[in-house]
Amino acid sequence: MKTTPLHAWHVGQNANMAEFGGYEMPLWYPAGAKAEHLAVINAAGLFDTTHMAVLTLQGAKVHDLLQACFSKDLDRCIGPQKGPLVTGRCVYGVFLDESGGVIDDAIVYKCENDDYMIVVNASMGGPIAAHLQKNNPFGDAARIVDWTDKVGKMDIQGPKATAILSRVLNDADQVFDKMVYFSFKGSFAPAELASTSVSLKDGTPLMVSRTGYTGEFGFELFIAPEHVERLWNELLTAGAEEGIIACGLAARDSLRAGAGLPLSHQDIGPWLFAENPWLFVLPLDESGSSLTKDCIGFSALQAAKNAEVTQAFAGFDPRKITLSDKAHVTSPDGEPIGTILTCTTDMAIDRIEGTIVSLATPVGAGRPESFTPRGLCCGFVRLKKKMDVGSEIILTDGKRKLKVEIRDDIRPDRTARKPMKTMLNA
Amino acid sequence: MKEIDELLLPEDLGYTDDHEWAQKTGETFRVGVSDYAQDQLGDIVFVELPEVGDSFAKGDECGTLESVKAVSELYTPLSGEVVAVNEALTDNPELINEDPYGAWILEIKPSAPAEFDTLHKAAAYLEMLKG
Repeated sequence: MKTTPLHAWHVGQNANMAEFGGYEMPLWYPAGAKAEHLAVINAAGLFDTTHMAVLTLQGAKVHDLLQACFSKDLDRCIGPQKGPLVTGRCVYGVFLDESGGVIDDAIVYKCENDDYMIVVNASMGGPIAAHLQKNNPFGDAARIVDWTDKVGKMDIQGPKATAILSRVLNDADQVFDKMVYFSFKGSFAPAELASTSVSLKDGTPLMVSRTGYTGEFGFELFIAPEHVERLWNELLTAGAEEGIIACGLAARDSLRAGAGLPLSHQDIGPWLFAENPWLFVLPLDESGSSLTKDCIGFSALQAAKNAEVTQAFAGFDPRKITLSDKAHVTSPDGEPIGTILTCTTDMAIDRIEGTIVSLATPVGAGRPESFTPRGLCCGFVRLKKKMDVGSEIILTDGKRKLKVEIRDDIRPDRTARKPMKTMLNA
Repeated sequence: MKEIDELLLPEDLGYTDDHEWAQKTGETFRVGVSDYAQDQLGDIVFVELPEVGDSFAKGDECGTLESVKAVSELYTPLSGEVVAVNEALTDNPELINEDPYGAWILEIKPSAPAEFDTLHKAAAYLEMLKG
């Protein structure tokens, strides 16, 4: 099993370790997954995400290669006006195979005119590099480099992320200036990948991206592997007063599920990418019926009929169903209607007279002054037929039965998209 | 995660293969889960308790513990009738993580008290955990 540069640190902290994507990773630390989940909602959490893979693509034809392989239309993807991807911005999308199934999801970063960077999931650097190479007729005009295990990465997520990160950066005000959601500055390897300069106090270069996988305000940080442990410790020290803690994969999973984000190879995967909550990664035109470019997999999507439907759900208490061969979805009268993709507990939310309220919900907007959420089960199901939001379905492991509700959103009042200026003094 | 040697395993309890414990409290026995079980499960977020008056045979499923990691069944280490359940766990399931031996889950009036002697002693349970 592979490890990240923080492996010894995790083990030294008595983290509960497990295999994920070929790496031995922390599930939670002694604080526990609930405390870690709540830290990200209330203050900040720090996640080791070095298991994720980075590719760089350089050359005059990279744009064309990505247009042919990546679901987003890079000429029409930024802002409500659908402008082109410009230097310093990044977009989320998927790589589809010919049959319209998902190979992996990814964020594509535009570093310079002919320089791009792609972040994919653990163990997917090789397969995505191979997929791109197979579909690359441009040779050296689209050079693909797999940086797997050669880039360190950590995510600082939560309302206090800016305040904490600002203490370890040079010219923090400048770094955070105009840093909108899904934009980035800096480079983890300035010699190979140009960008504006962002550095730690000691001059170490890094890339700061205003993205994440929690639904909450925060950043993903990319830095050379030899600097990972130092930056990790600096951030934990810098944010001690605010209550930053190290967070494991369990909290990462419960936070992302509550935020409605898919886990690749679990909620999206080698089946038709249709009828799901993430179709915004397809370049639909204003009419919403046709696509603005062609791309591998699109013809299969357009030919599809009666595709199964993926929908989000939330329960009424923290109980969940463990995924197994026997786990499935039924109608209230017991008729099998689908499968469970993700089932976890978002521990920052509960129901107040039926309405879901988060710890981040303002008191004026429905959160009681004294609010101690027990958590709600939530996740995604794949159903034979689409159901209306608010419909009740039953999750079962063959023995226990759990009533949950079809939702179009789960955890309210998420902070990921909040304007930077409102978070500087959060 | 705790090292095996760091686990708290009180001497006066009997332990099962499934990591429940039983403790004699007068005519009845209290039942809970071991330090090893709570450590493996992680944060416990929900406890499903049996009803007072329910009867179980040794090894029957008598409740469930929901943790961030999984749902796990609770099996009764002794045959008998449930005479009390720890209602405090309904609102504070994390008590099991904080104090797995103080946070008893149910109390059983045994129909075969000698079954207690068939449970693992602390030392034998520790050996089992070490594999």
